[in-house]
Amino acid sequence: MKSTLLKTARELRAVWMLLIVSLILFIATPLFLTGPNLLNVLLATSVTALLAAGQTFVIIIGEIDLSVGAVLGISGAVTAITLQTQPLLIGLAVGLGVGALAGLINGVLVTFLRMPSFIATLGSTSVLAGLTLFITQGNPIRVANEGFLAIGQSRPLDVPMPVWIVLAVVVIFGVLLARTRFGRYVYATGDNAEASRLSGIKVYRVKILAFMISGILASIAGFILTARLGTAQPTAGTGLELAAIAAVIIGGTSLAGGRGALIGTFIGAILLGVIDNGLNLLNVSPFLQGVVKGFVILFAVFLDRNSDLMRGLWKMLGSLRPKRPATPSTPATPQEPELASRH
Amino acid sequence: MKITLNDIHKSFGETAVLMGVTLEVHGGEVLALVGENGAGKSTLTRVISGAYRPDSGQILIDGVPVTLKQPQDAMAHGIRVIYQEFLQNIFPHLSVSENMFTLDEHGTFGRLFVGKKRMAKKATELMARIGLHVDPHALAETLSIGELQMLEIAKSMAHDTKLLILDEPTAALDEQESERLFAQIEAMRASGIAIIYISHRLEEVFRISDRIIVLRNGTVALEGPAATLTEREVVTAMVGKELDDFYPKESHGTEEVVLEMTSLSSGTHFHGVTLSVKAGEVLGIGGVMGCGKGSVLRSLFGLLPVTAGSISVKGKAVSIGSPQAAMNVGIAYITPDRQAEGLLLQQSVAHNISLASLDEMSPTGVIKLHQERTKTRSIMDALNVKAASPEVAVGTLSGGNQQKVLFGRWVMTAPRILLMEEPTRGVDIGAKAEIYRIINQQAALGVAIILVSSDLPELVAMSDRVAVMRHGHVVAELTGDDLTQNRVLEYALESAA
Repeated sequence: MKSTLLKTARELRAVWMLLIVSLILFIATPLFLTGPNLLNVLLATSVTALLAAGQTFVIIIGEIDLSVGAVLGISGAVTAITLQTQPLLIGLAVGLGVGALAGLINGVLVTFLRMPSFIATLGSTSVLAGLTLFITQGNPIRVANEGFLAIGQSRPLDVPMPVWIVLAVVVIFGVLLARTRFGRYVYATGDNAEASRLSGIKVYRVKILAFMISGILASIAGFILTARLGTAQPTAGTGLELAAIAAVIIGGTSLAGGRGALIGTFIGAILLGVIDNGLNLLNVSPFLQGVVKGFVILFAVFLDRNSDLMRGLWKMLGSLRPKRPATPSTPATPQEPELASRH
Repeated sequence: MKITLNDIHKSFGETAVLMGVTLEVHGGEVLALVGENGAGKSTLTRVISGAYRPDSGQILIDGVPVTLKQPQDAMAHGIRVIYQEFLQNIFPHLSVSENMFTLDEHGTFGRLFVGKKRMAKKATELMARIGLHVDPHALAETLSIGELQMLEIAKSMAHDTKLLILDEPTAALDEQESERLFAQIEAMRASGIAIIYISHRLEEVFRISDRIIVLRNGTVALEGPAATLTEREVVTAMVGKELDDFYPKESHGTEEVVLEMTSLSSGTHFHGVTLSVKAGEVLGIGGVMGCGKGSVLRSLFGLLPVTAGSISVKGKAVSIGSPQAAMNVGIAYITPDRQAEGLLLQQSVAHNISLASLDEMSPTGVIKLHQERTKTRSIMDALNVKAASPEVAVGTLSGGNQQKVLFGRWVMTAPRILLMEEPTRGVDIGAKAEIYRIINQQAALGVAIILVSSDLPELVAMSDRVAVMRHGHVVAELTGDDLTQNRVLEYALESAA
């Protein structure tokens, strides 16, 4: 019971941070808490949220995927090129295929070829980013397909389509992680891969699938970015992997593997979006925005690494409160001499 | 140099490991220390080397009481230990001479820059003294195990050793390397060094020691000169009289053979093992460390390749190449190290128990949580797993309860064959009794059980039949009146013909 509470508190940490930041912004500016602005935050967050959702699977198995930004870039470009001659569905299928293939390759490098994921995905990032530049020849590729542009620009029920997509992904993949056998194997593999193998789990398969999920969600993020802009940029996605990893960590997923939840990641991504939005509303210099975000990330990781310390502080604060009324009534408490004599 | 231990006591929590040990060792003498696993040899070693402080009792060096607060204190008195796990003290990527002088307190080879030539010269000199001829510039990882052990001895020579403790020194050595070691021990004895020699191999013990001390349950059970003691006396003293009623053994053996191994071999791990287990029967496998008893289980579970021979389950030949394949024919394996290769410490008790049975609870891939909850509950009740709730992380439980969770995982798969290795390692007496009860329950259900254990009383009491292994071969199968601790030890140790 106690540990369930702690676990929930841990997952809800991002919620608390989000509420506090929102409260500050609500007091600071009347522009923040309006329907259009909040939808705007969600829309701006959608790409990071998708990358972070995939990243969550990879980080829970105890690995890391630095290539999500580059996968976004190449699948956007490949899809845009395909759509110049092919119908919508084929374009989407090719884009998703590119993401899945990139994930498969990363997974094989990390498992069968025994490479550390940090280096393996650093390498594939360079390869994919280079390929994107090569196939686009460094030029943006325009997309005219109306159906495709709707992915980024339509507003069913007055909510931007990317927000619907993110919500659907969070629900589907959240259930996959929390409620299915595969999800259980993801946590098991990240907690203790050897014990998982000795319990009959095909650890390599689980790891490769986690990387493939990351790749597929990165390619969906690529669709959204390309559709919103109307063009596939040759350097799209560069650096986004860091925002995605930050969202995962802020959301309470442990870099050591075995712990975390998709909902936390989603809230972590929104928190980063709200901070961006707030800094803009408050007219903070764009040159300083990175500094603020950096501190938020450092603070979140600090909490993650020092949860014992924080629990201790919390306890100390708690024990201070009831003492205050008790201290004045010190005279003639019969227990005290007894306690003293016992020592 | 004379070291005297006077009435040494040492407990860990509620477990008393040393209960009044008194012994003495002189310079120029080889004292052999023998005893079963858990008799207190390692703890005693660590007390002498300053790694543990005794709860009570005195250590005297040449009649003067000393306090050894840390290993450095013991080293200052010239006490050195070469542990069985000495490889942990080797830096594989440093050279031989650098390994030898890692601790250069006085800056003999320079304070800021190290004089590598001088160091190599000194190392060569010391190694030559014990007959070890290797390049001092070679990286330690290029040496053989035997050479590394000699290097450890040479290292101790560099520090004016007066008492050298050798813990199972020949466990990793071949015949020739062992011979060299014995010659070296002889030379050290002649030069006036005191030596405490710990070994399971009685033949060696009788050959090189002057005096033998047998430890049992933390006390000295027998002490005498090697020349007048017999092997039988030593073995009997090691075993002692056991409290038989601690083991609630029930016999459920039937005539139906469930698992058969025929001339099974796996590389260098074991050779030509032919054994069978019947439904409801507990087959014990005993033997000293490294005899191959654990490897047999690992190959049955698809973790070591079978290089010759065959396995059949219920009369049907099977090939087992992976844990999944083993599980498909109804084999479960409880690993010896529950933390490293058993449990998922951050995950909940319930998730740990259901881990190997998720297939049947999730026909569509989505886990039926209600079914999972009911099943894990009933397993927790049946095995008496004590946890605040099924949701707490396994890492927060006591060792005994962690072990019961691991049993729970495999009991839930309803195996036909249950392999277990060191099932009661590091658990308290109460949990031990409960684990024996689980073994009985499973046997009563007709599960064929193989119990590999280094705990001799447990092995003998809980098995219907015991196969003894030595050097990768089964050397005896004991049942009925033949199944005694003495007989198992005699076959397990080198000495038995």
